Amino acid sequence: MMRRIWLLPVLLCLHMHAWAHKASDSYLVVSAEGATVTAQWDIALRDIDFALGLDQDSNGEITWGELRTRQADIAAWALSRLELTRGGGACPLQIKELQVDEHTDGASAVLKLAGTCAGATGPLGLHYRLLFDLDSLHRGLLRATVDGGTHTSVLSPTSGVVQLGADGISRLQQFKQYLVEGVWHIWIGFDHILFLLSLLLPAVLVLDGKTWRGAAHFGQAGKEVLWVVTSFTVAHSITLSLAALGLVSLPSRLVESAIALSVVLAAANNVWPMVSHRRWVVAFCFGLIHGFGFASVLAELGLPTDALALSLLGFNLGVEIGQLAIVAVFLPLAFALRDTAFYRKGVFVGGSLLTMVVAALWLAERAFDLQLITGAGA
Amino acid sequence: MFRLSRAAKLCAVLLMGIAVSALQAAPRTPTQDTEVLERLPFRAGDTTARELAALRSAVAKNPRDPSPTQALAQRYFELATAQGDPRYVGYADALLGRFSATMTAPLLVLRGMVRQYRHDFTDALSDFAAALKLDADTASAHAWRGAIYLVRAQYAEATKECVALSTLGRPVLSGGCTGLTQAYTGQLPAARKTLQQALATTRDDDQRLWLNTRLGEVAGWLGQPALAEQHYRQALALGVDDGYLLAAWSDFLLDQGRADEVAKQLAKWEASDGLLLRLAEAETLLKRPSAAAHVQALGDRFAAAKLRGDTTHQAEEARFHLRLRKDAKEALRLAAENYRVQKEPRDARIVLEAALAERNAAAARPVLDWLQTSGFEGQPLRALAQQVQQLPAAPVGGAK
Repeated sequence: MMRRIWLLPVLLCLHMHAWAHKASDSYLVVSAEGATVTAQWDIALRDIDFALGLDQDSNGEITWGELRTRQADIAAWALSRLELTRGGGACPLQIKELQVDEHTDGASAVLKLAGTCAGATGPLGLHYRLLFDLDSLHRGLLRATVDGGTHTSVLSPTSGVVQLGADGISRLQQFKQYLVEGVWHIWIGFDHILFLLSLLLPAVLVLDGKTWRGAAHFGQAGKEVLWVVTSFTVAHSITLSLAALGLVSLPSRLVESAIALSVVLAAANNVWPMVSHRRWVVAFCFGLIHGFGFASVLAELGLPTDALALSLLGFNLGVEIGQLAIVAVFLPLAFALRDTAFYRKGVFVGGSLLTMVVAALWLAERAFDLQLITGAGA
Repeated sequence: MFRLSRAAKLCAVLLMGIAVSALQAAPRTPTQDTEVLERLPFRAGDTTARELAALRSAVAKNPRDPSPTQALAQRYFELATAQGDPRYVGYADALLGRFSATMTAPLLVLRGMVRQYRHDFTDALSDFAAALKLDADTASAHAWRGAIYLVRAQYAEATKECVALSTLGRPVLSGGCTGLTQAYTGQLPAARKTLQQALATTRDDDQRLWLNTRLGEVAGWLGQPALAEQHYRQALALGVDDGYLLAAWSDFLLDQGRADEVAKQLAKWEASDGLLLRLAEAETLLKRPSAAAHVQALGDRFAAAKLRGDTTHQAEEARFHLRLRKDAKEALRLAAENYRVQKEPRDARIVLEAALAERNAAAARPVLDWLQTSGFEGQPLRALAQQVQQLPAAPVGGAK
């Protein structure tokens, strides 16, 4: 049967065909600074095909050639369904570039638009009616920035006309919001804290042959901590940014398992030292993995596309502030107690062993998808 | 002692892994004109595409004539339910909205169908009422109204619709309506008998598929898996794509511990959210490598639906959070919210499962009340309810 013959290519091209069936959305990002307006508008190829017909050779496939040659028609059609006004007059838009991108339900045409408004002040008026005549479930997902104030809106047949003032959420507020989220997520992320503490526990000690002795002065311990925290920070900032910008993605199970493994190894290293100098290298390597963990949190929060860099920076800084707060509490305490048996045996060895056990259970849970400890207390 | 080279090697391996899995997710300009960007659901030469083209041109020729509009909207709606693709519902709705002449009874029924698809039950009911006012013999309006009342657990109202269908001389529709009402109100054996009789009366494929699916569910609730399987297989043997049938059959197989069959059955149905959920559940149980990507895709889709303010998939989303993300708290919130709109056994079940996982009997109260008043006898549900009732009265704190 036909279906059987087709099975193999379908399996091989899963990533191409795994688009969702979902109602139609377009993604509209508008930025107005004074009289100058720029916009990016992602419209699904399936929708453009339904409205205008793109498949010239009727083979059921839309190629770049078929899309590219219709740029003028597409722009005319789309722009006749979007009106921007400011200062009592229109902001006629023109297409500057046509690109493509992928969303959960398939490929989109990306229209890069620009224009100049009649006026440079007052609210930006927006009237959206793309596809509403053909598909009443279509929605325009709008993110607009007017003189630094950000607005988001779902544009529907009954809410396609909006007025956007400069009084939206300001950049500063957005930055603060992500900063707080960053602090909060390092504090509730037990695995990150345990990893950091496992690396910090030996910072007030020095391995002398096979025995540990207390660090001579606070500066020695402080320097070690500075190296570890800085390299951890640099590493996870790299991967957090890469993942948040969508440049890199790893399966969450792999990331979560690797994070648990990193905690096991860091704690084990305290009990059976393998790496005793330059712990910053370990902190850096595993920091890369932890960055992906932070990114999944950030993905759930969602990043505003127009203030991406700023929000990312805010979140990152928040994570650092949260981390430094932990260090600020930990380091003086650990330094004061470094020569006591309580610290050496109880906190350093006992704590590391306990951390190892907990992290090993996480690892088993995450790698094999079991419910060992997380479910029991819930 | 310290081994930098080993650490450096590990670092290199990690970085390589990252580089390999780097994905393109920013706007780009393709370099080749021949690059295929998108595959459409149909080719222009396909039967369905030709049929749609003919229907569209008929509408274009006669925009004020209700019958071409009705035929095209009907076809769109069928495609939506068969493929699980909501774009067709939007097409149907826009088409009906464009019809400027007076709405006829069949057009009102179609608009009601579209509205119930979006869970706008109140407006749907008023469309069906308006259709019946224009033409008291509109059986489909009674049938849909009955279905909505069943979803809302308004069984007395549903019964009235079943009687109306019987009066109109529609034994199969009336049998389906009555059979389901009986099933939901604690009369499973009677329900089976009624549905069986309806099945014996009809030769229509669509009706046979629907009745066999519902008989499969009833047999499952009665704890008769062999019989349930027989009905599901009869429905599948008709060879008609139907999202509801595949979902019910997959749920049955999952309950029977036959995840491998679900994975096989649903392999080409990733595009439908509801079926992808079942596929991902099966793959997770089987520990297949494809599970992670499918769970991720589902998460992305629910996030995309949330962006547009779509709440019609809350029951599925609750199941996703409970069974795949192991987030009972979020699952319970969604399940409870869904249950305020939809109160069928599958909606009740996810509330109970989430309440049990979250150890929160209070949140399951509406479902326990429903079980009490309706007398529903479905086996897995009764067992779950009993477990929920044995939970300590006050919810335990959800600390990790």
